[in-house]
Amino acid sequence: MANDPIHQFHIEPIVEFQLAGWDASFTNASLAMVAGAGLAAWFFNWAMKPAALVPGRAQVVAEGAYDFIRGMLKDGAGEEGVRKFLPFVFTLFLFIFMSNMLGMFPGFFGVHHIFTPTSQIVVTAALALMVFFTVIIVGFAKNGMKFFKLFAPSGVPGYILPFVILIEVISFFSRPLSHAVRLWANILAGHILLKVFAGFVPALAAAGGIFAAISILPLAMTVALYGLEFLVAFLQAYVFAILTCIYLNDALHPGH
Amino acid sequence: MADRKPPEDALSNLRRRVDAARGETGPQNTPPAMSPAALGLRYGGEFGAAIIVGGLLGYGADYFLNSQPWGLVIGIGLGFVAGVVNVVRVAQSYSRANPVDPNAPSIPDDEED
Repeated sequence: MANDPIHQFHIEPIVEFQLAGWDASFTNASLAMVAGAGLAAWFFNWAMKPAALVPGRAQVVAEGAYDFIRGMLKDGAGEEGVRKFLPFVFTLFLFIFMSNMLGMFPGFFGVHHIFTPTSQIVVTAALALMVFFTVIIVGFAKNGMKFFKLFAPSGVPGYILPFVILIEVISFFSRPLSHAVRLWANILAGHILLKVFAGFVPALAAAGGIFAAISILPLAMTVALYGLEFLVAFLQAYVFAILTCIYLNDALHPGH
Repeated sequence: MADRKPPEDALSNLRRRVDAARGETGPQNTPPAMSPAALGLRYGGEFGAAIIVGGLLGYGADYFLNSQPWGLVIGIGLGFVAGVVNVVRVAQSYSRANPVDPNAPSIPDDEED
């Protein structure tokens, strides 16, 4: 059981309750999400409290993160995108980053393991659909019928246009899927891989003799993978945010 | 702290020093390099997602128009095309972000010999 690499993704209700017949229990996943969001809010509140002209260490981190996302959004969606969407994109990035980073803790204070919310496709799909519907709603509100230009690239001859529009529509609807699956698959695969390699260590050590001696190898691999997973945790939050910027740009400027 | 400068002066002084320090380390805000595995996953994801969505749209058309199996067949076909479009777009944006080094040695071409 302890070596089951999937066990870490089990949802366990903490406070059970039903909402109009639906199971709306507060689970370990909900707790991890609240912790991720709360940690981000607390850190920024704490780091920006001095609000010094010459920032201290924590304030540099907070301002650096803000500058990083702001620059990304400005490159992706222009000044208008920054004005409209900076809070949205920054929140998404911080939530995903904090959730991923929380998931890197193997557990402490008797907590068996810390749940990684982004390893559940429900969570990432909800985030991706939020971006998807934001693009549609803002696109129509801002451009009206001109938003359909997104599906009809300029300079396409008329006889091939229906075909191109159909393909563009499929391409548009495939966005939330690939957006959600990329984050989910990376985190899920990384965590399973870590658990599998870590599981080799006690198994080999218990086998005794020569096997106990080579149990150092999967241990070294686990340490190396942990470093890689920290990179993945940041990189996937970054990729999710930059794709959000690219998609939001389509809502503001639908013409290709 | 007795000879404290007026804040405007101190600010421009700080700005100059920050700019000087930045100039040595190159431009800030450079995105982290994507690992080949991440890039490959991205291509695969974009391609597969379009096929799934194309298939689902075709299946939905079948459901409402009662035209099994043609909607699914055409939908998956169009999904493949949309997947290729997606992959080309990702590759284009990747090439724009990471231009090929003009001084790189050319890859030997086995066509001309």
